[in-house]
Amino acid sequence: MRFGLNFLKEFLQLECTASELARALTIAGMEVEGLEKVPGDWIFDIEVTTNRYDWLSIVGIAREASAVTGSKLTIKLPEERKKIFLKQKKIIIQDKSDCPYYTGRLIEGVSIGEPSQEIKDKILNCRINSINDAVDITNYCMLKWGNPLHVFDNDKVKGNIYIRRAIRGEKFLGLDDKERILDEKNLVIADEEKVIALAGIMGAKNTEVDQNTKSIFLEAAVFSPLAVRASRRSAGLDTESSYRFERRVSPRNLEFASLEAADLIVKKAGGVYKGMASAGSAPYNRSISIPLNINELNDYLGSQIPAARIKKIITSLGCQVKEGKAGNLIVKTPLERFDLEIKEDIYEEVARIYGFDNIKAKIPCLAGYFEADLLKDKRRSLYCLKDQMRRFFSLYNFKEIITYSMQSKEELEKLKEKDIISIVNPLRSQENALRASLLSGMLQCQRYNLNRNKETFPFFELADIYRRKARGYIEETVLSLGLAGDIADFLFLKRAVEASLKEFGINDYKIQQQEAEALNPGLVISAQDFSLGFLGRVNKDICNSFDIKQDFFFAQLNLEAYIKLRADKNYAAFSPYPEISRDISIIIGRQIKFKDIEKIIRQKGSYLTDLQVVDFYKGKDIAQGCQAFTLRLFYQSQDKTLNSEEVDSCHNGIRLALSQLQGVSLR
Amino acid sequence: MQEQLKKLEEEFNQDCCSISSEEDIQELKVKYLGRKSLLSSLFSQIPNLSNEEKGLWGMNLNKFKLRIASIIEEKARKLKAKDSDFDLTFPSAKVDTGSVHVLSSVNQAICSIFEGLGFVTLEGKEIEDEWHNFTALNFPDDHPSRDSFDTFYLDIQQDKDKGKSLLRCHTSPSQIRIMQQYKPPMAVISPGRVYRPDEVDATHSFMFHQIEGFAVSQNISFADLKGVLLRFAQEFFSPDVNLRFRPHFFPFTEPSAEVDLSCIICGQKKEKEKKCSICKDKGWLEILGCGMIHPNVLSACGIDPKKYKGFAFGMGVERIAMLKYRINDIRLFYENDVRFLNQF
Repeated sequence: MRFGLNFLKEFLQLECTASELARALTIAGMEVEGLEKVPGDWIFDIEVTTNRYDWLSIVGIAREASAVTGSKLTIKLPEERKKIFLKQKKIIIQDKSDCPYYTGRLIEGVSIGEPSQEIKDKILNCRINSINDAVDITNYCMLKWGNPLHVFDNDKVKGNIYIRRAIRGEKFLGLDDKERILDEKNLVIADEEKVIALAGIMGAKNTEVDQNTKSIFLEAAVFSPLAVRASRRSAGLDTESSYRFERRVSPRNLEFASLEAADLIVKKAGGVYKGMASAGSAPYNRSISIPLNINELNDYLGSQIPAARIKKIITSLGCQVKEGKAGNLIVKTPLERFDLEIKEDIYEEVARIYGFDNIKAKIPCLAGYFEADLLKDKRRSLYCLKDQMRRFFSLYNFKEIITYSMQSKEELEKLKEKDIISIVNPLRSQENALRASLLSGMLQCQRYNLNRNKETFPFFELADIYRRKARGYIEETVLSLGLAGDIADFLFLKRAVEASLKEFGINDYKIQQQEAEALNPGLVISAQDFSLGFLGRVNKDICNSFDIKQDFFFAQLNLEAYIKLRADKNYAAFSPYPEISRDISIIIGRQIKFKDIEKIIRQKGSYLTDLQVVDFYKGKDIAQGCQAFTLRLFYQSQDKTLNSEEVDSCHNGIRLALSQLQGVSLR
Repeated sequence: MQEQLKKLEEEFNQDCCSISSEEDIQELKVKYLGRKSLLSSLFSQIPNLSNEEKGLWGMNLNKFKLRIASIIEEKARKLKAKDSDFDLTFPSAKVDTGSVHVLSSVNQAICSIFEGLGFVTLEGKEIEDEWHNFTALNFPDDHPSRDSFDTFYLDIQQDKDKGKSLLRCHTSPSQIRIMQQYKPPMAVISPGRVYRPDEVDATHSFMFHQIEGFAVSQNISFADLKGVLLRFAQEFFSPDVNLRFRPHFFPFTEPSAEVDLSCIICGQKKEKEKKCSICKDKGWLEILGCGMIHPNVLSACGIDPKKYKGFAFGMGVERIAMLKYRINDIRLFYENDVRFLNQF
């Protein structure tokens, strides 16, 4: 809310400068976001939090300013000398929950003219336009007391006043010259024939007060915050008036605003005051009594504020304090403060006026808490595993990436992802669904880097993926690995995955070839009925549709499975005796897979400890579809140094077994 | 003897010419000065000589030994000197290493600091429902305070009485779930991804990371909250920083505060010509929101607010990383350009 210091000075005898006031208000919770010097005044721009509707009025701000600076506060309340009952107009409220209280004052014989300079300046400094003296006065009173008012040209109002819901299709031409079609969501003010205002939001052009108006009907009311909110959202509007009604207005200040406005209009525009009509009753017009204890307050804040100071702060905010024994107090809240309901609300008032920075910081002893249960929580083992995985793969030379959880549904379907969860209110169609695998993010990252930089890198990502189920959904944490371009090497990827299994003590796993939709060829890793993950080459078509022309290898690991299957590392004694290696050059035909000969080798090799492929031969003399490579076999015994004869006999046994296989030849 | 010694000397001189490495030096030492060397076999012949010859040859052999030892030393030193002819000013080979994403390392660093104070780290899930995301946190239905916490809604159905499914817009729902599950006392830190329908620009993203922390016990106070956060700031940024607590409003805390960090760039010293680009000479940077947990929130989780009190705080990880490392565009975190990843 914007306001000028001169307006504030109607209630306040300020002893400090404008900047000092701004600072004091900010420290106590009313953040002054801007302070500007204009000719003759200082403009403050404050942030009003949703709980302090009372800061939407000058009287509320003045009270706060007085409490934080100690400046003298003088509030002169308008008085009604004589209550005149207006009999000509009847006010009919359709539903009291929409509008609990409605009043209207009639002033006849006015002559509308230019507003006074003082009022014009004050409302302009609050960034409200000046229209004419009557309308400006209503805005002035709204800003001063916090209650929005509205003036109708009474000669254009036919018959009685109705506060009701609009009928679907009813037309409304507002003061902003826009026509709108209304429905039941809109609460309106109407006469016998037509809608004359969107209640609490904006008046209609058909009853606008202008220089020809001779008779004014001044509305002051309380409308339901929910009704106003729904109505203004439906009409696509947001006005100073609706803003205040949504946050609740004070029924007590309503009387002051209405009285002062009527008074000022008569004084300025002439005319005779004819009386007030009303319907309903002012709601929630009671103050609350909150019992609290000074020692409890200081415990809660961790402070040692003296009792006298506490009482002074509470009374400076407009509360009444009754003191009891042993530090007990009863605090009666002022009518304008709806936000003070429980003792913690009072604690906050005391703390912020006393100064948060004046409460000395302490370090609590939290480690003494009995948190063994928390340590057993499953989420903790997931957090620890993620940390260890991150460290493992970054040391393994992968770089961690973070990509968006949302993608376009179209793209996800291109990647053959199923059971996708959609976002009902996305910002853009490029992010309208949740991803069911980390492939999309990895693809985008690889493509970005392949295009921008001459090189790319092995990447990994740790994130959640989401899928809908028949009932409900699944959200699980996975880890993806990706290699593309020049460095793409499937065996490197496979080795990294197997190393991670070893790192977490998972040794009993199965690898099976399985074509997935997006990966072919592909492998699936599982153990004890848990799927540990899959890896493979991303389908060429998919790569092309994402503008990646090179090979792209991808893996995704299920962390939940790792948690279930992980085991501690246990030291296994290694042989102190030397290891001997022998090479075999092998050609396998198309119909043979490496795992077939591996099976034979391991069966026959009694001293065999390891085997490695050390070279792939890609010469022209190898037949189509065959694989030629050199296999290095390592032999070692736990109990002795093997001699050549023992190694040879073992090795030759393997050679013999291999040469007997169909489709295998030794070079 | 004389002939043997002469022959040995000739052999030695010849061998010396072909020395080119440390190993050659070692071999030389073993051959001429070692226990089984020719020289020591000459020494062992001395007892067989006449007395006058003993003295003479003993002396000659020793002189010879000293001389070849010093020649070998000289050769070794020259060899080392040659080695240091190598030009060390050549640039080192480029080595690319794996790395952890800067947001992950900041996350981990922050959680570690709080774990050091006694907090336990537990992460929550990103898909939530209205009850855990708003209602339990004391947001009234259909209230303007929900406007600044707009959310993405999802087309899946959960418990009907928990409201619509959504992507959480802050990490506070984790707080609710943990408080429902465990009895006080407890101190928990909960990091994670959150989502808000904000237009993307240099400082806003529809997806970002937050860290939530809270503690509940019979004796927790506002002063404790201040202490914990001050300790965090001083460990994470520098021991010289200060915090300023400004009263604010959140529906789920009472009192509520926004916490400012003393500007780490300009150190709050105003320069006459240039404005500090980070804090715009305000001297303070907003980094946290916090407060004492509202009693309604404790009740919603089944914790008796007459017996227990708690504090809670939340911070944006991107904002803190951007402040600490002077990163000027939030989108860099999610583009994953290798030139960005390499810097952290």
